[in-house]
Amino acid sequence: MASVPSPRQRSWVRWAGPLLLVVVLAVLPLVFPESVNEIIARIGVFAVAVLGLNLVMGYTGQVSLGQIFFLGLGAYVTAYGVSNDWNIVVVFVLACTIPAVVGLLVALAAARLGGLAIAMVTVALPIVGVPLAKRLSDYTGGSQGLSARFGDAPEGTGLYDDQWRLYLVLAIGGAVFLLTRNLVRGKYGRVFAIVKKNENVASSVGISPYRYKVLAFTLASLIGGVSGFLYMLVIQYTSPETMSFGHSIQLLAAMVIGGAGSILGSILGGAYYVLVPQLTNLVDPSLTALLQGATLLVVLFVLPGGLASLARPLGRGRRSSHDRRGPTPPITPSATTGSGTAAETPETERQGHP
Amino acid sequence: MNMHSRSRKALGIAVASALALTLAGCAREGGGGGASGGGASPGITDTAVKLGISTPLSGATAGPGTCTVAGVTAYFGAKNAEGGVAFGDGKTRTVEIEALDDGYDPQRAKANYDSLKGDVFAMTAGLGTPTNRAWRDAAIADEVPQVLVMTGDPLFSDTEESPWQLGFVPIYQNEGEAFGKLLASSGGAHKVAILSQNDDYGAGYVEGFKSAVEGAGNVQIVGELTYEATDTSVDAQITQLAASGADVIFNAMSVTPLTVSALQKAQQLNWLPRWFLPSNTSSPGAVVEPGGGAAFPAIYSVSFAKAPASPAFAEDEDVRTYLAALKEHGNYPDAPAFPHCQWSWMVGATLEQAFAKMTAPTREDFMRALRSIENFEAPLMLPGTAVSTTEAGQPAVPTVVVQKYNGKGYDTVEAFE
Amino acid sequence: MTLLELEDVTAFYGPVQVLEGVSLSVPENGAVGILGANGAGKTTTLRAISATVRAGGRIVFDGKDIRGTRPDRVAALGIAHVPEGRGTFGDLSVRENLRVGAYLRKDRKGIASDIDYCLDLFPNLQDRITSNASALSGGEQQMLAVARAIMSKPRLLLLDEASLGLAPSTAKAVYDAIRRLRVESGIAMVVVEQNANLAFTLVDSATVLETGRNVLTGTSAELRGMDEIRRAYLGG
Repeated sequence: MASVPSPRQRSWVRWAGPLLLVVVLAVLPLVFPESVNEIIARIGVFAVAVLGLNLVMGYTGQVSLGQIFFLGLGAYVTAYGVSNDWNIVVVFVLACTIPAVVGLLVALAAARLGGLAIAMVTVALPIVGVPLAKRLSDYTGGSQGLSARFGDAPEGTGLYDDQWRLYLVLAIGGAVFLLTRNLVRGKYGRVFAIVKKNENVASSVGISPYRYKVLAFTLASLIGGVSGFLYMLVIQYTSPETMSFGHSIQLLAAMVIGGAGSILGSILGGAYYVLVPQLTNLVDPSLTALLQGATLLVVLFVLPGGLASLARPLGRGRRSSHDRRGPTPPITPSATTGSGTAAETPETERQGHP
Repeated sequence: MNMHSRSRKALGIAVASALALTLAGCAREGGGGGASGGGASPGITDTAVKLGISTPLSGATAGPGTCTVAGVTAYFGAKNAEGGVAFGDGKTRTVEIEALDDGYDPQRAKANYDSLKGDVFAMTAGLGTPTNRAWRDAAIADEVPQVLVMTGDPLFSDTEESPWQLGFVPIYQNEGEAFGKLLASSGGAHKVAILSQNDDYGAGYVEGFKSAVEGAGNVQIVGELTYEATDTSVDAQITQLAASGADVIFNAMSVTPLTVSALQKAQQLNWLPRWFLPSNTSSPGAVVEPGGGAAFPAIYSVSFAKAPASPAFAEDEDVRTYLAALKEHGNYPDAPAFPHCQWSWMVGATLEQAFAKMTAPTREDFMRALRSIENFEAPLMLPGTAVSTTEAGQPAVPTVVVQKYNGKGYDTVEAFE
Repeated sequence: MTLLELEDVTAFYGPVQVLEGVSLSVPENGAVGILGANGAGKTTTLRAISATVRAGGRIVFDGKDIRGTRPDRVAALGIAHVPEGRGTFGDLSVRENLRVGAYLRKDRKGIASDIDYCLDLFPNLQDRITSNASALSGGEQQMLAVARAIMSKPRLLLLDEASLGLAPSTAKAVYDAIRRLRVESGIAMVVVEQNANLAFTLVDSATVLETGRNVLTGTSAELRGMDEIRRAYLGG
């Protein structure tokens, strides 16, 4: 961000926005009915899962069809830890690190392969994961799955369980979103975007595409693990079904519909993942698959950049006010060729080019 | 910049409130305090009761899932058309059913439960072990009945562990046990080979079978192998079992194409034992005929429901009423493709029995009434089977009868031949 | 002293052999041109050096055979490639593009002063410093691509068709700046160029490729006068 007319005003705006958001998020669970709190909590779970997918796919451009595996792994680790009465902080750390380590190992092997080969390796994850979860029944409960209830509201808070759990989801999910936002807007995000755009050019300035692909994949796995922890917190049950391949594709669709390479898009993707099946159930429960498919197509045709592109006009307004401040550059005739895309790409929400 | 940030915030708040308005169910109200007074549970008034179902209506299991809704909807549709169902508290109520699709996704099943629990009196009939397990704990915590659900998972029939649950269909052990008993009582000496799926499904069948033949001097298990549900071939296992010289094979397999190829492989090896096939992989059209089942001396399976397609039941009163109602009230115009349609119809009849025994319009009283049904022969049940809910650890239908393939369908048999 | 030496370098795109044995010698502080028609293997030769295509033969940089080294390691050795089509990052601002060029450097002060140097070298970029690269004109993008390469403080610059698609006056401005860079920094260069006249304003010597082989090598002065060059590449 370049200079702004009044620095004092700028800092006011900078702090007021997030502060208001925090206040709103803190108050809403108290006023919403239980059913809405539960829906928002579920949206939080899948928004985090979509965020992880976005990191590796939307920002770094590596096709991953296995994100649901890391959610499932995180959920299983959480369920196992909770049912063995481990300290919940330890459980959380394990639910992050175990998927991250598995993701790292997979990435070290897969990122050497180009293009579709990575996609095929990631396809294998849920396909191997489901029978593995059934097989390792001593740890996973087999095909009957594992139930684990935790995160009940502590005595003395005066909160209902759903309110307390939603606060936990908002706190953990919010932290993950904040960290990821800072990551993708900083140096790493810049490098991810460069690797996505052109690996050769990335190499020409000394960037190792391999290293950053592995990094993105590992972080996506870690975030997937966090979403698995939240999944157990909210759903309280996991089974091999949790990580079935179909759900991985649904996550992918949610990411594209929300907006690839967009923080806001990840939240919208999570909302899509949770709300659309419920809304289609209200329309006609026997036609849910058809209605969901139709919704997907309509969104993609009307908003190819995903739902997040609806928020672009705001970003554009901000950006053009930037340009007006700077000295007007001499525009050579050929400059107009590329300027269209620039105006549509706000600095704050870097959209992936298809 | 100010203006833009503000309008963005305003948008956020607008979205949040729209979400709240469109999705808000009933506001927070303790446990029961419904509007109809007298401490009635949610979902029941003096004139109507509402039941909820979460079941797969899309995806790979949509066929059976659709049946689980159709049968019970048809049953109560017909009853409602006659004026309703007589309850034990002297009132007559119509029965409404609200069914939601979960696509066999546990997470969606939990979401469906969350959205239904405030509106319905009880949840029933939904298909699937993981999808029912996903909200079992929540149903217990909320004290919402989750009854007559379609899962062979014994947990739902464990009264201690699952006070607000009751499974409907026989558990896997019941099926294995029924065949084991028949074999043990046959008098002849038998060598049995066991091939089972390496999960709780296969293990349940084998456990039931072994408990029934334990101590029977005439039954000897000569080979026992497993396979993975994801395997594409069991040729190696069949070859190995054929070498054991068994004259009976207990095939606890849930995968249709594998069952067909197992039947074919045995013939190829010229190994012709008598077969036991589980109820869900014994379809005459989909398994036995393509597998060339006629080559074997006998193929046994188990059942508790009349097959409407069987010529033996073409003139059966129950079957005709059922098929007519399914068309008229069940939104299911075709011939039922899965037994789940029949089972769901029986769920309707069983619920009616429980309703008739209820003395108060509460979920607690409903559970008490539901657990007091003894030897109720629901429509479409085969002779020799009945609904019994009084025995702990057993599903509502604990008994199955062994049937033998007759070249077209199955006939109930009394003895092993 | 020789900085870069190519000996009998071969390369394939799939089954098609593009380089059949190219040799090249670039002295320290020197600038060598690669001339030739479309498809002669000029761009592939640069890619072989920067390791973005797999090559056979010997590629010796600063006394070490670098063949088989990963492209990002080659960049780290001090070889900066300005690819054909420029490869600037359209989503990033001019300043961010320059920072990316300095990816391997840790000296904050040096980076800042080198950015200033680039902006002095290409004053057009100074005016567009906060604009996205995709908003730049073709000439400005070319300048940015060169500037970004300089930011890595290379010892050898590989320039691929820096005049492509530019108006003659713009192309001249770009080459003028690069010549100034050469004089002031002493960075060695390999220059691929269709426009031989333009190339001769920059390089000391050149080689002419035809179907993946050297057919002619000489100093700029020698080559400039040759009829073959004139006919084939100077449009004379």
